[in-house]
Amino acid sequence: MGALIVGPILAHMARQKPVQRIPYGATLLLRRMVKRIRRKRRLRDLLLLLIRALAVILLVLAAAQPRLRWEGDVPEFGQSGRVVFLIDNSLSMGQVDGNKSLLSRAREAALKRLKQLPIGAEVAVVEFGGQARALNDKLHRNLQRARSDIDGVQLSHGGTDLVGALHEARVLLEAQPGEVLVFTDEAGPVAVDEAALELELLLGNGASVIPIAVGTERPRNLAIVSAEYGEGLEGGSITMEVMNYGPDPVEALVTVGLPDNSEIPVFVELNPFESAEEQVTVPPEVPGGVAWARVKDPHLSLDDTRYFHLPRVGASRVLVVDGDPGATAVASEIYFLERALAPWGASRGGVLPEVKTLSGLADLDEERHRVVILANVSDPGPFAPKLVDFVRQGGGLVISGGENVTNEGYNAPLRDLLPASLRKRRNLVDLSARGGVPLALPSIEEPLFKAFTRGGRSALTRMTARRILTFEAFKESENVRILARWEGGHPALVERRVGRGRVLVWTSTFDLGWGNAPIQAAFMPLMQRIVGLLGGGEVGGGERIEVAVGEPVVSPIPAGILSMEPEPILKGPDGQTVPFQLEGKEELVLRFYPKLPGAYALGVDGAPPSVWIAANVASEESDVRVTKRLATVESEIAPELFMREARLAQPLIWGAIGLGLLQAVFARILARREHEAA
Amino acid sequence: MDGLITGSHRARRLGANVEFAEFKDYTPGDPLRDLDWKVLAKTNRLVTRRYQAETELACHIVVDASGDLGTGVSASHSRPPLEGSKFGYAVCMAATLAAYLERHGEPVGLHVVAGEGVQYPHIPARTGKRHLAQIFLALASLTPAGQASLAETLAPIAPQTRRRSLVLVLSDFMEEPEQWLMSVRAFAARKTDFVAFQLADRKELSLSFDTPSIFVSPEDGAELIVDPIGAAEEFEEVVERFMSEVKNGIRKEGGRHIMTWTDRPMEMAIGRMIGGQG
Repeated sequence: MGALIVGPILAHMARQKPVQRIPYGATLLLRRMVKRIRRKRRLRDLLLLLIRALAVILLVLAAAQPRLRWEGDVPEFGQSGRVVFLIDNSLSMGQVDGNKSLLSRAREAALKRLKQLPIGAEVAVVEFGGQARALNDKLHRNLQRARSDIDGVQLSHGGTDLVGALHEARVLLEAQPGEVLVFTDEAGPVAVDEAALELELLLGNGASVIPIAVGTERPRNLAIVSAEYGEGLEGGSITMEVMNYGPDPVEALVTVGLPDNSEIPVFVELNPFESAEEQVTVPPEVPGGVAWARVKDPHLSLDDTRYFHLPRVGASRVLVVDGDPGATAVASEIYFLERALAPWGASRGGVLPEVKTLSGLADLDEERHRVVILANVSDPGPFAPKLVDFVRQGGGLVISGGENVTNEGYNAPLRDLLPASLRKRRNLVDLSARGGVPLALPSIEEPLFKAFTRGGRSALTRMTARRILTFEAFKESENVRILARWEGGHPALVERRVGRGRVLVWTSTFDLGWGNAPIQAAFMPLMQRIVGLLGGGEVGGGERIEVAVGEPVVSPIPAGILSMEPEPILKGPDGQTVPFQLEGKEELVLRFYPKLPGAYALGVDGAPPSVWIAANVASEESDVRVTKRLATVESEIAPELFMREARLAQPLIWGAIGLGLLQAVFARILARREHEAA
Repeated sequence: MDGLITGSHRARRLGANVEFAEFKDYTPGDPLRDLDWKVLAKTNRLVTRRYQAETELACHIVVDASGDLGTGVSASHSRPPLEGSKFGYAVCMAATLAAYLERHGEPVGLHVVAGEGVQYPHIPARTGKRHLAQIFLALASLTPAGQASLAETLAPIAPQTRRRSLVLVLSDFMEEPEQWLMSVRAFAARKTDFVAFQLADRKELSLSFDTPSIFVSPEDGAELIVDPIGAAEEFEEVVERFMSEVKNGIRKEGGRHIMTWTDRPMEMAIGRMIGGQG
């Protein structure tokens, strides 16, 4: 037993070699070497220490279960398994970016997200161009069906009904948590802001709204924001506002199309993000109907055309009924009115009035005539219904004073037109006197006198009256207004709105009988303004309505305007009939859904339309700029939805294990090297 | 080194018109005819007169006799008890150089660094056979010992040198370079040729020992336990770096460096010196 113990010890001792002592002359170098080795070892030891310490620190941190939180740009997706897809198919999604429209990109993005959903996820699809529409009545698990729903979403001409879409999503989620993916270009000044409340309700139910913006880097669009036929005499003008929503200056070609298929081109220069107004003169004679203005724009073509109503433009727009043809030509109202309305004759753009006697009122034609002037007419009673109808339809009626104007002749028959009942005439001054009471300076706020803003207003005060018509006491209102007074306060010009038209009563005469107005410099421009103001309305040729594409139309139509026999039809811009409803008896209500922009016509087949409808896309859809992001609104309401979180315990543990292995390997290598050195 | 090979300066020493250079304390061995009897009579001090010829081309041989030189195993000259040591090589080389220089009429002096048995560590540069014998005797008396201090040995030599003088140092330079490199600069400033023969034993510097050993410094007795096999790689790097340090340091200060391996014939090193290399 002793041999077994001692033997190995002796053998070990025998294997030990004696350590010899060597005188060595280069100990300086040995010392340097030892220093180097020690320095390296110190670094290695330090490194080992650091690795070991770090491993311990990681383990300690892991025990504390730390979490890292940071703010993301959209909420997390894929958490709930209940997902509603909102696809924006409004007009602005028709923008072309590269070779694809934004709607195509939105569909692709939606399909990609659909693929990422786990089996068993519940989905539904809502489109929200024009009016939001859920393609499913509830959430379902049929992903194939969802795929075909998304593929089937087509571009509309409507605006962005984000509010409706979020509401539909809330209904589909049944006020439970879920995720709402919104594929939209977020364009337009109001869509996102308007949706804030609905968004808040949705988030309040525990849902998260994940906007997936589909837009171009630099949105561009040109659009006709407005177009209308302005007031004017023969050959009036169309005023258009063209807007450039893009970042670059543009010279755009704008074409105006008239109901007789003629076209008028004009070039418009547009600065970035600015609009420009352009006027186009209409030929002297143009049939009435729906005209259009179109701008050439490659980025978004759906809003390039704006439709507007154009009344029949032609001669004989002013009908003057001369109630008192004078003994001499110069003594009659007609003399002064003709020179005021057409100082250079009709051939040079003036309005040569059609002059009739009272019986000529039978020829009053809503199509041709815009304004009727009763100049010192004694008894217009027999034509009162015609006149009332004419004014209600939008025509203008001017009544002037004179010896023939009597209370009996006017008060009863024209009570539906007069601002108030007439009383007896009044002498403001002695009739034998040369002078008279001047017109008080009228307000330039009044549209009739706005043209006098730059000067000439004081010329109006040179008009004087010696004798005037008076009224029973009346209260001014929205429909009855005194536009001008004589000095002293008596009304000089009184307006009454009747239906779609207006009546103006000039309490003096249009000749020199009661005053000097016709020979004053201001008379011509005043008369032209009166005729222009009264004649600029849409008169004749049927009812005119303006509607928005993609929004249901509910519009009253005045009774009697539409013949019901045979049954009327509604034709769309493409010539096809459009389903509609007419409700009511006394006053009809027209209901229909315009899907396309353009001119719609309601009437009996074969007859001129009774109702013209100009359908335009919502102008706010043309604004393709992003004003506010949905994510911004959402983060203001629920910022916690945007926080990302990562649990760090497991990575820290793995890190500690890794460091532990590393230091073990490193230590082993070092030990082997030191053993060899020792 | 312009006069080294032809010995053309010999004639100057013999002529009566040789210019007086300076007084020097008498050293045994100095020619008695050079004693200045007048100074002796006046001051009772033994001084010799030195002439321009003697000081202008003086050659000074500096031999490192410190303990480190007593090691080494590959010197081809055998000389008991210093056989195979760097010191033996240095002594032989110094003697050879002195004989060579004397034969060519150049004044030669000898300076010893550390060492034992040194009666006169500084022998001034002279010519003549008797002077040469004095140098040989000094070399034969030397025993390597003590710690080297090149700076202390070189310091008094520099003032004695003139332009075109020659200083030959035979050493292993096993001191920290920054301690003696300034001395090299002093020689270069006086336009003196400074030639360093760095003696090295190949086996010693390869650390080619088989077993872990205790390495003892002959100079200060310090001991270091090293496993030569395990440390070989590291030591090689240290040696390489030290050699570069010495060589580049000397050259940077204006001197010449000649690596002298003790397993090579010394004529190779001397030939390189004469040829102006280094």
